[in-house]
Order: sequence, then C-alpha cells, then structure tokens
Amino acid sequence: MSKQVDLVAAKTNATGAVPTANGRPFLSRVFGQLEVRMLGLALILAVALSLMSPYFLTQPNIFNILDQSVVIGIVSIGMTFVILTGGIDLSVGSVAGLSGVVLGLALKSFSIPVAIMMGVGCGAIVGLLSGILIGYFGLAAFVVTLGMMAIGRSLAYIFSGQTAISGFPSGLSSVVYTSVLGIPSNVMFLGFAYLLAWGYLTYTKGGRTIYAVGSNKEAARAAGLGVLFYSILPYVVSGALAAVAITFSVAQILSVDPLTGNGMELDAIAAVVIGGASLYGGRGSILGTLIGVLIMVMIRNGLNLLGVSPFWQGSAIGGIIIVALLVERLVRSRTER
Amino acid sequence: MSNPLSSNDGQPPILVASNVDKTFDRTRALVGAHLELRPGEVHGLLGANGAGKSTLSKVISGHVVRDAGTLIYKGQPLNHRSTREALNAGIAIVMQETSLAADLSVLENIFLPELGRPGRLSYGSMRRRANDLLANLGHEHSLPLDVPVARLSAAQRQLVEIAKALALDADLIIFDEPTASLSPSEVERLFDVMARLRADGRALIFVSHRLEEVFAITDRVTIMREGSTVVASQDTASLTQSDLIRHMVGRDIGSLYATPALREEGNRGPVIFEVENLSTPPMVRSVSFAVRRGEILGLGGLVGAGRSETVEAIFGLRPRTAGTIRLDGRQITPRKPADAVRAGIGFVAEDRRVQNIVPDLSVKENVLLAHLGAHRGFGLGYGARQQKMAVLMGALGLPATRLLDASMLNFSGGMQQKIIIARWLLLDPRVLMLDEPTKGVDIGTRQAIYGILRGIAAEGVAVVVISSDFEELIGLCERVVVISDGYSIADMPSALLDEEKLTLLAAPRTSMARNTEVLTSLSDECGGAGFWALLDDDRLICLNSVVADDGASPGFAAGDAKHFAQTRIPTALGRREGLFVREADGGRATILVPLRSRRNHDLGWIGLTVPGSVAPPPAELVRQRIEALNVEAG
Repeated sequence: MSKQVDLVAAKTNATGAVPTANGRPFLSRVFGQLEVRMLGLALILAVALSLMSPYFLTQPNIFNILDQSVVIGIVSIGMTFVILTGGIDLSVGSVAGLSGVVLGLALKSFSIPVAIMMGVGCGAIVGLLSGILIGYFGLAAFVVTLGMMAIGRSLAYIFSGQTAISGFPSGLSSVVYTSVLGIPSNVMFLGFAYLLAWGYLTYTKGGRTIYAVGSNKEAARAAGLGVLFYSILPYVVSGALAAVAITFSVAQILSVDPLTGNGMELDAIAAVVIGGASLYGGRGSILGTLIGVLIMVMIRNGLNLLGVSPFWQGSAIGGIIIVALLVERLVRSRTER
Repeated sequence: MSNPLSSNDGQPPILVASNVDKTFDRTRALVGAHLELRPGEVHGLLGANGAGKSTLSKVISGHVVRDAGTLIYKGQPLNHRSTREALNAGIAIVMQETSLAADLSVLENIFLPELGRPGRLSYGSMRRRANDLLANLGHEHSLPLDVPVARLSAAQRQLVEIAKALALDADLIIFDEPTASLSPSEVERLFDVMARLRADGRALIFVSHRLEEVFAITDRVTIMREGSTVVASQDTASLTQSDLIRHMVGRDIGSLYATPALREEGNRGPVIFEVENLSTPPMVRSVSFAVRRGEILGLGGLVGAGRSETVEAIFGLRPRTAGTIRLDGRQITPRKPADAVRAGIGFVAEDRRVQNIVPDLSVKENVLLAHLGAHRGFGLGYGARQQKMAVLMGALGLPATRLLDASMLNFSGGMQQKIIIARWLLLDPRVLMLDEPTKGVDIGTRQAIYGILRGIAAEGVAVVVISSDFEELIGLCERVVVISDGYSIADMPSALLDEEKLTLLAAPRTSMARNTEVLTSLSDECGGAGFWALLDDDRLICLNSVVADDGASPGFAAGDAKHFAQTRIPTALGRREGLFVREADGGRATILVPLRSRRNHDLGWIGLTVPGSVAPPPAELVRQRIEALNVEAG
C-alpha cells in the first residue's frame, strides 16, 4: 500500500502534478464520460421498452420517435447554447407560441418562405432582447426569461385573438413531408442542425468562447475573448430555434393556437441536463443533448405504447430528470476532489 | 523560539499559543508559530505580507482550525472549533476585510453575535449600548444606527466592525489592521479606546503594517516571517524601526536572485511602454511609470495600495478616468481586454482560480485561450500555434501528453502558473504584466519563472511585475516604482534599494498630510524648500518635498534616490548639523533636523533649504517647528 503511495508521490514530483486521465484505465475513462453513460441508459431503455411492447422497435415506431424528436430536439440545441454559458431560457415555449402565431398571421398575406422568416425573426428578436438584458445589463437569466415567458404568451393570445389560426396553404406541409432518400425532411433538418451545432461548438472561435464564458467568465474576459457578444448570442439562437421548431409543428398540423409550445422549456431543459450539461455552465455537449432528447421522447413514446395514463407520465419524466441531476452531482464532486 | 524573557513581569499570560501549524492546500501559512499575550497589554503582531499574521489571528479567534499546536487561554487548553466558542470564551476579532451583513442596519451589525444567542433581544438596551460604544469612538452622531451597512463608506464600516468587537465586552480582542481605511483623527480615537481597554486589564493584539502606529500604541511586539515567529514578545521600546523591518524581511537573500546591475544612463534602452497619470478611482489616483527595452519593472507597495487596480486599468478591465498609455511611442486606449490583447499586452492576473483558469477546458485550450482572444476569424486557428506551443511546453518542462488533460485543476500551483504564462508567451506580446506571479508557487518553479521573465525581457518584451514579496521585487526587477495610496511615489533602481527602504517607502504615511503642512508653511515663510528624507552615509531617499522657491530646490524630489554628490546640497547633507550650513559655492543654506517618533524612533530627517539670496531664519525657530511635528508624529 505504502509503496503505491510513494509511486504516486514520485510521479507527482516528476511532473509537478497529480496523474490524471492518462493514468486511468481505458474503461473507466470511457464511462467517466457522461454522454457514454447516458447513451447506455438510452440503450437499456430501448431494450426494456422493446421487451415490454413488441411494437416499440418496429420501423414505423422508430420513425415516429424521430418525428416526435424534431420539435423538442431543435429547441434543445438553443437551450444547450444558453446553458453552456451558465444561463437558462425559460421563455422558449412562449417564444415558440408567439412565433407560431406570427407565422400563422403572416401566412395570410405573405408567401411561405417570407412568413417563415418573419416567424423566425420574431423569435430571434425576443431572444436578442433577453440576451441584452442578461449579458449587458447583468440581470439574472432566470428572471429575465421568466418575464419574457409571460410577455410572449400574453402577446400570442393578443395577436391570435385568443383562437386557433388555421386554413394555411397546403404547400406548407411540404416543409415536413418532403422525403429525401426515404427520410422525412424534418428529421433530415434535425440531423443537419445537430451536425452544424456540434461543428460550431467544437471547431469555431465562437463555440469555444461560449464554453469559456460559461466556465469562467472573468478568465475569458481577461484573455481578450468577446464575452459580451457571446453572452448574448445564445439567447438569439435559442429564440430563433424555438421559432424554427414551431414552424415544423405548424406545418404538420396546419394550425396554430396561442397555447402552442406550452411547457416546452421544461422538456428542453430536461433534455440538456440529462445530456450531461451543468447548469453552472461550461460543461455539456451537443451530442449529450441529442441523447437526452432521445431518452425523453423514448420514455414518452414507450409510456404511451404501454398505455400509461398521461397523468403518470409527468412523474416518470420528472423522476428521470432528478435522478440524472443527482448522478451529475455525484460524478462532479468525485472528479473535482 | 519560546520566550523566557517576559516571564519576569509576574503577570500570568492570558493566552499562550505555541507551535501552531496551518497548511492551506499547498501553502504552509503557519509553521510553529508562537504568541504570548498578557492581560493589560497591547501586543503588536507584525510581519510582511503573507507572513501568517492574519492566519494566526484567525486561529485564535476560531475562524480557522489549526492543524497542530496548543492554545492555553486563561490557564486552560483552548480547543475551540468555531467562532461561537471563541466568543463565549471572551475572544473577539476586528477583521481586516470587514465581516458585516451589508443589508442589516448598523445596530443589528454591532450586535450580530447576539443574534446567534437564544432568547429575546432588547432593542432598547442594544440601542443605548450602541450609542455609548460609538460615542467612545467619536461617532455618536455621524453613524445613524438604522442605516443599512451597505450604504456606509469603507471607514464607517471599519468603525462598525470595531464597535461590534467592543460590544462583546471580550477579554481578548484582536485588531487585524483596523486602521487601513481610517483617517488620522479616527486612528487617534481608536488608540484612546484601546488605551482604555488596556487600562481595564484587557489583552489586545494589534496587527498592522504601519510602523508608526506600532510604536504609538503597542507595549510588546511579536514578529512573524514565513509562518514562523522570529521575534517573540519583545518590548517595543527596546526595538528601533530598522530592527522591526530587518526582522520582518529577514536577511537571508539566497542565490535565487541575480541582482540586476544598475545600468548607466546612456546604456539603457529606449522606453517602449509608458503610463502617465493613470487614474481609476477610488483606488488609483495618479500612477506613472515607463518600461525600457530589456528591462523588468517592478511595482511595489502594500496590498491595497492600488497596484493590481493599476494594471487592470491598463489592460482594460477597469474604466480609466484619466491618463495616457503609450506603446512604442503610440498612444493606445484599450477599453476592454480584447483591445489590450490585440495591441500586444499580456496580463497574468493575481487570482489564478478566479481570473485565469478555465476549469472546463482542457489544458491545451487553456494555453490557447489568449490566442483565441487575439484571433480574428470564424475558426480556431489552433494549427498555426501548434509548433510554438510545442516549443513553449518543452521550455516549461511540461510533457506534451499532459496538454490533453481535461482540467488544469489537478496541476500544482506552480505548474498552473507556468501554463498561464505560456498562454501569453504564445502571442509574442510586446508587454507582459504579471500580478503576484509567484504567489503559492514552489521555489523550483519560481526559479523557472524568473528565468522565463528575464529571457523575454532580454528579447525586448516590456515586463511589469507586481509583487508584495519585496525581496523578489528587488532581486528580479531592475527598477521599482512604488505605489502608495494610489499614487506612484517613487521610481528608483533596485540596486539602490533594500527591503527596509522599500518598506518605508511603501508604508502609507499617516502623518504625511501634517508633514506636508509643516513643510509647506516652513518653505512659504522662509521662501525656500522643505523636504523629508532618509539619509544613508552618502545617499538619500526623499520621501516628501515642498518647493516654494525654485532657487532653493535641493536637487531632488519626493521618490528620488540620489548620492549626496548628485544633489545641490552635498555639504549640508554630509554634515547634518542643527544649524544652517551653506554650500561651498556660497549658494543654498540648509538645516537638517532629525524626525523622531514620540518613543524616540528614527523617522528620517526634515530639511529646509533657502537660496543664497535670502537670509536664513533663526535655526532655533525651524527646530521648534519640526519638534512640534515630532510630538504629533508620535
């Protein structure tokens, strides 16, 4: 025992540091990654659900799961950006509702692409407003986006005249139902968006700055990084992507009502956190978020297939979020001691 | 190390701390510290920055739990594990950084410890007692009891902090630098209160940097250095100011520093980086310095003098209200760090964990962080730095594989610091500013860091180092600019300095205002020039000067260090008589009078020079004026 301690001490002296990652066996290194553990959880869930319901692993249901992942998946990308900077965006659901209403109204007088751009623009503007209040004026993200959540929902009701808007041009559904190589365009878009977000967060100055800002804002500023810009940008991305997500939803059901997107923020935050992101910022990945989204959707899908009452589904999903957070805390405190 | 000397007093000590050890992470804050305290004394606890004074104070007050050692309090071993236990035993502390609840009122803060006791509070009697306490401190009307502490000035908060300790009616009160933000008259009041407590038989520990105050109020002193007690319970009266400083800084300058030779005027490189009259209130009022090519410039001074704030303002981390910054002769105005980085300035901030390390990025990305800040473009541009990074890592003794470590937090403090320095070296900066670069760094890494800094300075990088370790400052830097109370007050080659002189220069001189007043009135009345200086055998360091008549200028100004021969009054400086001495050329006449504290400690010399054309005033008159200052200075 003491020999081992001596070895460690000798190594410490030689390199001036305690040996870390490279000294650990391969397996524990792999399982040290939260994404890997969560992927494992996703696989276990898939196997369990397929055992319980023979329909689960059929091709139609897999497409069904992917289809159900689109809206929440796109919103979760923006939420990942925000949470990586150490913030939170509670307004995505309301922003989605407001943008959906704006899209619906715009479709009455503009062409489909213009109307979509107006909806997405609306989401981006709300995000910019939150971003400036949080990044420039230093208000708490929680409070600002809580306020935006109320304002967005209220405006959605006012603009829509408190009723659902429908009667959209049928061309709108081609946004969702055009299939490329047998894959529906919305699923295609989801994959493309995740690839883009992953590339941005991993291989660009902006992406790394977002991590640095979330991990240690003061150090990022002292290194000359554009802390202000990259504190605001995530909220713009989040708002715009909430609008993009709702566009797919509107195109699918060809109708939008002011309650659209209600509760979406909780699903998105849950997906990001299950994917291993730290709410303190600086830690998390877009791959993890994708896994988190799939876990959320699979649970919901599986519970539906098993005929579990929707009233119980909230408990199941809430329980999973809390367990995921607990796991993160335990892992974090162990690796940082 | 223990002290048999003091036992002849007959008074049993109220507190004996012996062999106290305390280690924080890798820093050994206390190594076998001793302290012995008697009732009815004010005991000075002295030491340089980081000597362990505050840690020892906090061990006694229960804020810090010691690793080893014993405390005997009133004859009983004291093993308190919380401040509450210390309070119950009758030990109170006035903290250096005030420990007040900002949103509570003055009254509630004064009786904050009462809130932790069971039972009901009587606001009426608390109010009466608070008024009595503040009256003792001379603030019965100026400190409204119902105002939240958040709205008070620093000095007012300090007074509340003091009142809070007094309210406990403790037998042992520790004052940890209580005077840092107080005005001279408030300090007088505090000393009166302390004298009364002493007469009451209480035991007081007084921690201070200000040697004048130590001589004014303490009976005995204990001096610490590097966590150990080097002088235990000596009578203050038996020590001189230079004794104190010598014990505080120690005498063992190792081979760590190759003291840079003083270069001749013509041999010095051109100025490449220049700061003039920089101001960023409230900490920095007017700071100027210039760095020449090939030179390491030190910024010396005490903690809180405005050094860190100065470099932060240059780097764009704080707004500047005045001042110019020139790099290679061109003015630059960095408004944010990104501007400074692109202009070619690098900055290693003092607090590694808070200001430098990004814990969630890998070691490699931490090294590349400033590159990312300077990089223009959408991508990362890491590839272009790959080669230089490999070279740097080799030079720093960091294996390339360690670059892939997920976090810097597992490295030693020294290694972390080298990585942060590498972050800036990667950019080939024109200017590199380092704030306490060797804080918490082991000796071997220190050596390596000094080597790196000397190397880049020789290559033409302007290096600016802030250090509270005066030994390091003098050993590493060619010139030292001393900052005190937000002003750059001296700029001198380190070859002329030693730690004693630097300590005297850096000390915030509480009597400076009165001193300037007397110098002004002297020089106004006699039409000459007054000055306050430290004199060596053949050199002087001028601490303060007031010139009313240019014809009388002695040839040096505040902050100058000169040989007597370089001044205009060499004869008078050499003779130092209590009479006017006329220079050989029949010009200026100068009188020099020693300045002494009330306890007869040497505080340098006051001089008055009058031009040849003016008849000197009676020497007796000048002496009386200066002696009047002496009494006040005590």
